[in-house]
Amino acid sequence: MNGNTGKIINVDLDKGSIETELLPEEYYTGYIGGSGLAAKLFWERGSFSADPLSPEAMLIFMNGPFAGLKLSGASRNSVAGRSPLTGNWGDSSCGGYFAPELRYAGYDGIIIKGKAEKPSMLLIEDEKIHILPAPEYWGKGTDEANRAIKEKYGKNYRTLIIGPAGENLVKYAIILNEGHHAFGRAGFGAVMGSKNLKAIVVKASAKIMKLADPEKYEELRAELNPKIKEALASDVMRENGTAANLEGGVVSGDVPIRNYTSNYWEEMGQELNGGVLTEKYLTKRRACAYCSIACKRVVEVKEGPFAIPEGPGPEYETIAALGSLIGSMDLAAACKAGRVCNDLGIDTISAGGTIAWAMEAFERGDITEKDTGGIKLLWGDMETVIEKILPVIAAREGAFGMLLAEGSLSAAVKTGKDTINYTAQCKGLEVPMHDPRGGGHGLALAYAVSPRGACHVASPMLFLEMGACFYPEIGFEYELEPMTDKDKAETAVIAVALGALENSACFCQFADREIAIPEWVGLFNSVAGYNWDVQDMMMAGTRVFYLKRLINYLFGRTAKDDALTLRMLEPARDGEPEGVVINFEGMKNKFYELMDMDPVKGIPSFKKLVEYGMGAEAKRVWQET
Amino acid sequence: MEYWKDENEPIKAFVMLFERAMADEELTGGMKKVNQLILFDYTENGPNCSFWVDCRNGELKVGPGKPAEPPDMTMSLSADDAHRSWSNKLNPVMAITRRKIRVKGSATGLLKLAPKLKKVAAIYVTVLKDLGWEDKILT
Repeated sequence: MNGNTGKIINVDLDKGSIETELLPEEYYTGYIGGSGLAAKLFWERGSFSADPLSPEAMLIFMNGPFAGLKLSGASRNSVAGRSPLTGNWGDSSCGGYFAPELRYAGYDGIIIKGKAEKPSMLLIEDEKIHILPAPEYWGKGTDEANRAIKEKYGKNYRTLIIGPAGENLVKYAIILNEGHHAFGRAGFGAVMGSKNLKAIVVKASAKIMKLADPEKYEELRAELNPKIKEALASDVMRENGTAANLEGGVVSGDVPIRNYTSNYWEEMGQELNGGVLTEKYLTKRRACAYCSIACKRVVEVKEGPFAIPEGPGPEYETIAALGSLIGSMDLAAACKAGRVCNDLGIDTISAGGTIAWAMEAFERGDITEKDTGGIKLLWGDMETVIEKILPVIAAREGAFGMLLAEGSLSAAVKTGKDTINYTAQCKGLEVPMHDPRGGGHGLALAYAVSPRGACHVASPMLFLEMGACFYPEIGFEYELEPMTDKDKAETAVIAVALGALENSACFCQFADREIAIPEWVGLFNSVAGYNWDVQDMMMAGTRVFYLKRLINYLFGRTAKDDALTLRMLEPARDGEPEGVVINFEGMKNKFYELMDMDPVKGIPSFKKLVEYGMGAEAKRVWQET
Repeated sequence: MEYWKDENEPIKAFVMLFERAMADEELTGGMKKVNQLILFDYTENGPNCSFWVDCRNGELKVGPGKPAEPPDMTMSLSADDAHRSWSNKLNPVMAITRRKIRVKGSATGLLKLAPKLKKVAAIYVTVLKDLGWEDKILT
């Protein structure tokens, strides 16, 4: 096999057994890699009735075919399975340094089942794979555990680690690579915690990759790396990070404020943007493996109540989620809150979304100090967020910690009083920091139909709407206006296929914006030898999207779950999108029609599935019902 | 050119636009933060079709043609697209993606100006009116 190794590791923590397995080539040509291949494996082998935190649950890590190539943005990894936060299909992507090391060690992925008797770690050194006891790391923050593991094994051993939140089964716990790069969404840190697995560590002895057409790939690489590096967006993100355009986002109404109750806060835009982060707190710029964009930040806050030593700095999502969303425009506080979340092992987006919901509930009197254990929840009170709220969530401490550790949907259902109306989530996954009322109405549709729930990276809809893409080879050569439904369903059809491709190829969305469609095809063919044309490639993307829809269907999700809450659909109260209403149902109906999806079941028709080579899958979902 | 009869017209309008913008306190603050010497290059529409803005060191200057020193950033596009851009009728992200706008040099300054485009467009309308070019105003 080329590009891919074709080999995965099966770990059974119940038995303490480890086996390697070669996967059929058609799994790759059909489902690419990454979250697509993980979906295929879950479809074939996963349990649709198992609790995501039970030993039977599958935890899947999967590379894409480009992991390990010296190509900007190419070396991400996916984690996937049933999300403990949502109960649906979940996947999450992570940059950093794990993916290439796993590839060099000889593997495309790892499937973990069972539960270790005691805290453990998985150590992979080429063909030597061991489950080791790890009680000394259990209970430690990600930073301390990462340092201790590297001290013991070596700084070039690549780590995936959970924090106390994962150990305590917080439903939005993360898995952190190198103490900096996160599998942030959908709660797979809790799945690792439920398996008593504190860490996965990998080291390869050589960097050997077999490619289908090395010469053609080198030609492409020589074109793509400079193109990605010199792109204007790359330049801007290298300089000021992913929050570089936060101020522009405030002007357009894209940045959420106080639990999505406002779309405009000028002073906040001036205080929280990436330029200010650079000026005040940046000490170093960092990159994921082989990436020339270098959007990662290293920061130090030298003084004040939110002082932190030099270490990982916040990205845009963290700055907004632990800033504007909870009513704060204190950048130092966002840096510290992000650092605390990393160390405890909590997703900053879901934490921000859940805390924002709680703050509004407190303001409305829907929850009181009796519910919060005496904690007053006030917009922008970052000291309380950092010192009290995040720690009680991670520890599941008291009734309030237990309430918030389940995420905003569960907390609202438990609280009642129609508080669900002002949650900002879809299918239980908190909405990321792009408000579709200002950012683009197509994003509302993309959030709703995304299999894992509200997600801005499930598809490139955000980029398509802002004009950052031009793909004439697949019919995307028209211009979109953000605050309208015009052409959005049609665009979403393209977007879901492209998004599935990106997440299956495990490519970074910031880098792959610069890759033209023929270059994508060239990469798949020269690296992995898929022998695709444009249509084959787009069909593979759509096939992955369809398969994830089928998985969700077997979890009991149907078309009615492709919905946004009242908060997300009510007219914006201020800013650029003030008063504008999203024609959500219109876009959704049109999308369903174009995708040939059943308006009740929310899955593709039998005929459509057969057309995509999914006859067996079609029989399973259509004959079972 | 769709909007201009010769290469002098756009430069006259754009230089006047920046002269007026420099009298606006809010825009002045934004431009000073850019802290760059910027060349707006429309020479695809004529050899003299360009102007420069110097926002360095807390001062603001504008002039036709090319600057005496090498610019920190050059923005190349057609004079017609520049007209659409200053009228806030051109999506700058889309224009860059489709190579209608080519940027050379550090582009971080551009982002500092982007939130002010609406205000710039309002001033541009007054400039066109004062030049007697109401027919060029894009609605």
